[in-house]
Amino acid sequence: MNNIKIKSKNLNVYYGDKQALFDVNLDLNEKEVTALIGPSGCGKSTFIRCINRMNDVIDICKVTGNIEMDGMNINDKDLDVVSLRERVGMVFQKPNPFPKSIYDNISYGPKIHGKGETKSELDQIVENSLKKSALWEEVKDRLDEPGTSLSGGQQQRLCIARAISVNPEVILMDEPCSALDPIATAKIEELIDELKKTYTIVIVTHSMAQAVRVSQKTGFFHLGKLIEVGNTEKIFKNPDNKMTQDYITGRFG
Amino acid sequence: MSNEHTVKSYEEELQFLKDSLIKMGSLTESQLGDAMDAVIKVDKDSIDKIIKSDEEINKFRSKIDTQIMNLLVKRAPMAIDLRETISSLKISQDLERIGDLSKSNAKKVKPLPLDLPDELLGNLKRLGELVMKQLNDVLDSYVNKNFDKAKEVWIKDEQVDDLTYIAMESVIDFLSKDKKNLDFSTHLIFATKNLERAGDHITNIAETVCYLVKGEYLKGSRPKGKVIQE
Repeated sequence: MNNIKIKSKNLNVYYGDKQALFDVNLDLNEKEVTALIGPSGCGKSTFIRCINRMNDVIDICKVTGNIEMDGMNINDKDLDVVSLRERVGMVFQKPNPFPKSIYDNISYGPKIHGKGETKSELDQIVENSLKKSALWEEVKDRLDEPGTSLSGGQQQRLCIARAISVNPEVILMDEPCSALDPIATAKIEELIDELKKTYTIVIVTHSMAQAVRVSQKTGFFHLGKLIEVGNTEKIFKNPDNKMTQDYITGRFG
Repeated sequence: MSNEHTVKSYEEELQFLKDSLIKMGSLTESQLGDAMDAVIKVDKDSIDKIIKSDEEINKFRSKIDTQIMNLLVKRAPMAIDLRETISSLKISQDLERIGDLSKSNAKKVKPLPLDLPDELLGNLKRLGELVMKQLNDVLDSYVNKNFDKAKEVWIKDEQVDDLTYIAMESVIDFLSKDKKNLDFSTHLIFATKNLERAGDHITNIAETVCYLVKGEYLKGSRPKGKVIQE
């Protein structure tokens, strides 16, 4: 069993009067993939947005309870959110490269975080990040072209390269393949398998099959509550909770 | 009971699969009974009918295979549905093998004389009745998703082993009395062994039902009765 990287205890999230998460206790293991599943609006994205304080951008959002990374209180008011987001990268549902060159998409993060002082250091970071995201061979001869000129699947891998360029510890993926075709999806899944050797990964997905393929641990959310969490194989073969079973077998009324 | 699937046709496909398996089971049950009767009554007229019913069982097996392939491709079943699908595949294989063994027993009736001693037939009959009961119980446990009943069948196979031993001894005893008996006694030995093998397939089904219901395999090894030297 790997070490616990992120630990949430009695985590509650409110958007104004509406409570979005109820007492969520969930541990995420280091260098492992945790999949979060559940119907739309169940709180899984809200949960991962607590890990990099993305909920801060929503004025009416209030977070109570504990969420820690390596023992550090993520919710600490005095915490430097920029450095937190350097440690916790994020990839979204729709590929969102900057309207800049492929090279600049990757080098932007390291530059603002003060990594890669010289051009050759930056070149190295760009190359390494693109290699890690399995995109290097496809783009090495056109690094000056706009990121948006790539195909959807390539753009998503570019976003993953951008996320890992600042050498994070955790990568959050919010339905990273929902806009991709099966081949691009397979490439991302293959990549996730590789990336988990280095990073702790949390993936929100609506595809049960994807959760089974990529994750070691799965958590099922419903109406803001974490209903069941456990070994992925167990969850999909023989879950303990009837609600989990009803959801994964398509019996939700 | 679980709620119904949101997708109605998925619900229907799973139900259709279960229905096919139940029909295949009941066909296998009557064929096993008919084959047993044919041996005990040395009824040579029923041989063809029993052989023919085996073709029906085999057809069910292919039909169930196709249904399972379609379910896997179309629905990618999970949890209880996955266990239901995979269990159907395994149970249908065991039922088909039981069918083959009944057919083999029916074929063994042809060379038997009409005046077999009562004691010998009595032992064989008792074995046959127990195997029939085991098949009936295990199919019941499948229909009612009854873990305890399936486990009972699994444990009771020990008695099948013991009765096989007794039946086998009476055949060997009969054989040793007169060399003339050698020819058809070998057929009776095989028929007895076939019943024991059918019993083993029934325990496989019992194990599958236990997995289907609880999602866990039975732990430990099954109690074994007296074993015949092969």
